Amino acid sequence: MNIEYVFFLLIFPGLLFTGILGLTVGWVDRKVSARFQFRVGPPFLQNFNDFFKLLGKETIIVKEGVHSLFIAAPFIAFAVIVLISTMIGVALFFNKGFGGDLFVIMYLLMVYSVMIILGGSSTGNVYSSIGAAREMKLLLADELAFIFVCMVPVVKADYQLSLEQILNWQSIEGAFIGSVSGVIAFIVGILCIQAKMTLPPFHIPEAETELVEGPFMEYSGPPLAFWKLNHFMLYVVLPFLLVLLFLGGFNLHGLGILWAVLKYFLIVVVMIIIKNTNPRIRIDTALNFFWKYAALLGFIALILAVLGV
Amino acid sequence: MEVNVVLIYLAAIPFVIALLNILLPPVMQKILTLLGLIYLLRLTVLLYSGVAENFILFGETVFSVDRLGLFVFTFIQVLSFIIFIFSLQGLDKRIEKKFLILYPMTVSFCNGVVLSEHVFSFLIFWGLSGLALYLFCMLGLTKGTPQTAKKTFILIGGSDAFLILGMVSIWFLKPGSSWSLIDLHIPLTGELSVVAFICLVIAAFAKAGGFPFHTWVPDFSQDAPIESAAFLPASLDKLLGIYLLARIMTQLFEVTVTVNLVIITLGAMTVIFAVMMAMIQHSGRKLLGYHAVSQVGYMIMGVGSGGALAFAGGLFHMINHTIYKSNLFLTLGSVEKQTGTSDLENLGGLGKKMPVTFIMAMIGAFAISGIPPFNGFFSKWMIYQGLLELAGSMSKVQQVWLLVCLILAVFGSALTLASFLKFLHSIYLGKRPAKYDHIKETKPNQWLSTGLLSALCVVFGLFAVSIPLKRLIYPVTMELGYPLPDFLGDYNPQLLFLMFALAFIAGFIIYLFTKNVRYDQNYLGGMPALEKYRVAGTEFYNEIRNMKPLKAIFDAAGKKYFDIYDLGTRFTFSVSGLFQRGHPGQLQLYLLYIMAGVLIFILLVH
Repeated sequence: MNIEYVFFLLIFPGLLFTGILGLTVGWVDRKVSARFQFRVGPPFLQNFNDFFKLLGKETIIVKEGVHSLFIAAPFIAFAVIVLISTMIGVALFFNKGFGGDLFVIMYLLMVYSVMIILGGSSTGNVYSSIGAAREMKLLLADELAFIFVCMVPVVKADYQLSLEQILNWQSIEGAFIGSVSGVIAFIVGILCIQAKMTLPPFHIPEAETELVEGPFMEYSGPPLAFWKLNHFMLYVVLPFLLVLLFLGGFNLHGLGILWAVLKYFLIVVVMIIIKNTNPRIRIDTALNFFWKYAALLGFIALILAVLGV
Repeated sequence: MEVNVVLIYLAAIPFVIALLNILLPPVMQKILTLLGLIYLLRLTVLLYSGVAENFILFGETVFSVDRLGLFVFTFIQVLSFIIFIFSLQGLDKRIEKKFLILYPMTVSFCNGVVLSEHVFSFLIFWGLSGLALYLFCMLGLTKGTPQTAKKTFILIGGSDAFLILGMVSIWFLKPGSSWSLIDLHIPLTGELSVVAFICLVIAAFAKAGGFPFHTWVPDFSQDAPIESAAFLPASLDKLLGIYLLARIMTQLFEVTVTVNLVIITLGAMTVIFAVMMAMIQHSGRKLLGYHAVSQVGYMIMGVGSGGALAFAGGLFHMINHTIYKSNLFLTLGSVEKQTGTSDLENLGGLGKKMPVTFIMAMIGAFAISGIPPFNGFFSKWMIYQGLLELAGSMSKVQQVWLLVCLILAVFGSALTLASFLKFLHSIYLGKRPAKYDHIKETKPNQWLSTGLLSALCVVFGLFAVSIPLKRLIYPVTMELGYPLPDFLGDYNPQLLFLMFALAFIAGFIIYLFTKNVRYDQNYLGGMPALEKYRVAGTEFYNEIRNMKPLKAIFDAAGKKYFDIYDLGTRFTFSVSGLFQRGHPGQLQLYLLYIMAGVLIFILLVH
């Protein structure tokens, strides 16, 4: 095994980088959301403090549940997200492969939801089970549109699947956002990652007021800390994926750095705005929305991509 | 040293064992069958290094073996052996003796099918393997058993008629040639060749469980003994059906791109329809049965596509499916034997009581849903790439069509995941009903069997290229004339797994250093949660069931409007009903018929 890979995984662009950036962006989210509601918002290091405070707290395990699965789930989800972030990051920053292409990422992203469902329902709590069912339905809802979105760059890059080839194609031919199909797919993509992160209006599985955090209800202490961290790390992983697929990646020379930051924050800010201006919808509404409208848009984008528009 | 393996023994040995088993008591039956299966495994290994001695009767080659036959043959032996380990203990006493006679007999018939080069022996063994299916189904102990056995027999037997018709048409297309099935390469030009092709594809689809001839599979899984559900529809019949399809697509006919697209479309429809039905099932056996159908869709897409990569992926998916699906059936069998039910509503929370079975079921569920690094993902990944490779060389309309099929297939695996999370939740997770508090883990032979299958799932996933593909599958595709496939994408399961393990350890170390654990029970509204507040899991997807256009489809499916057997029955009865009404027993009316008949006859002759 190459020591370079370990560096990629643990330091940059994997565990440490994604973790720190995720917690920081999580602060941006909280701060901006607070300003939307005319509050002051938390200080910069609040997310870090929360994380370390939770590490010091007690872990309460439900006696009659499946303990090993309950404990392992957040850490498996954590490892999977680190893995995905490394794959995407290595392609973005080093233009290399890390043992996985777009299909691998699509399937690995599902593992995160699977772990939420298995971990939550291993306790036998009724709210966790309902939340788990909703999480799965939400995954089904956004997955169809998400597959369409992911196929658009593949078609436009002449059926290339590996991340670095999709990037290379864009650096020669221009970013895919510059075409009609790219724009449509990008918009649908933002909606999909909103749902994948279960941000409002798609925070149906957690739904604090009715399900009391759903699958996470029985979690406490370090496992809860890792669920929170996982969620914030998705703030890095999913927008990076969209940057890679549609915005032509990052060019880290001179003014390119500014552009890179702008691209990333453009997506994050759009997500935060959607989050703060929409109330929660019901799960059947979400299914209808994604299967009947978003997937249709994705399909149109796909046809346009095949036609080369 | 080269060893001669006499091919006729491979079919004869299990048959003789079956005959001996008629006389022996169950213990001896088990020992004899196990020894026979081990001996067959040994002969299989010898086949790879030694020389196969063909079976020649009246100057015609009856049995011969090529790479494709050998490949399928290998997995027939492996799965028969592993599933037999499961059947060593825990069979219902009422059916044990008959089961143990039928088991080696079925192995013999299936071996006969894949070794046959001659059309006649192929047809005979194919028909006999269908009969074995019927007899196994008759062993079931539920109320619906006779009905299901009849349905299975009619669908499979009916498809045999098509198979015979197709084979005869082939003979007319190549009148000079012998009755050999190897290397015909008939171009699909005239009507007769198209008819022959369709007939053969129908037979292959019915055996493997492809849309729209799949309807016997879920019913069989529901009513037959669970070991036989793992043995036949989940493993051996898949192997045989896809084996025939692979022969049709590569050696019997020269197919065009349009035909490939039609087959791929049927595959995508199989995936999506069956998985949708699986999601709403309330019985664990039926859920698995519908998945045994939906996975066939991927194999059909792969084998029917005509590209090297997708073809290899299709064959790989076939063996992967036999491994994880029999694993899933057997774990459900363990649960059923301990609790007495496979109804998802009545189970729950067994993960703590049956941890080994739970882990095996989880591995099977992940493998079937295509979670990396298990084997199911690798073969699906190959099929997707193969389809994308094809799309690159097609016209724009065909591209869109193919991409839609591909996307439905990818989405199909998300739906598969959904129904398996429901499956895991309803059996192993959630709140455990108090009546299962005394449940114990199953017998060791059952662990051993499911454990072997789960280990294969992991090994075939992690070392996919070096073990199954290079050693078993590429030789087959090369012999069939495909080039060595080239991956479009980039997937390194070993690296990803190592990296995953590293990241997991990094996170888990933090937990180990900071953990401070207290155990407590479940509370609901400040009170210890009661048993009546539990989610069975069967109602997980009610919103999807009741969605606007889907509700009508599901309702129609519930009334069996899409069941070709039921449609056929209705049609037959309505036609015969017409005749019945025409025969009310009035003599004058019959006289009128005679007169009319004579009149028509005269008119025609005139």
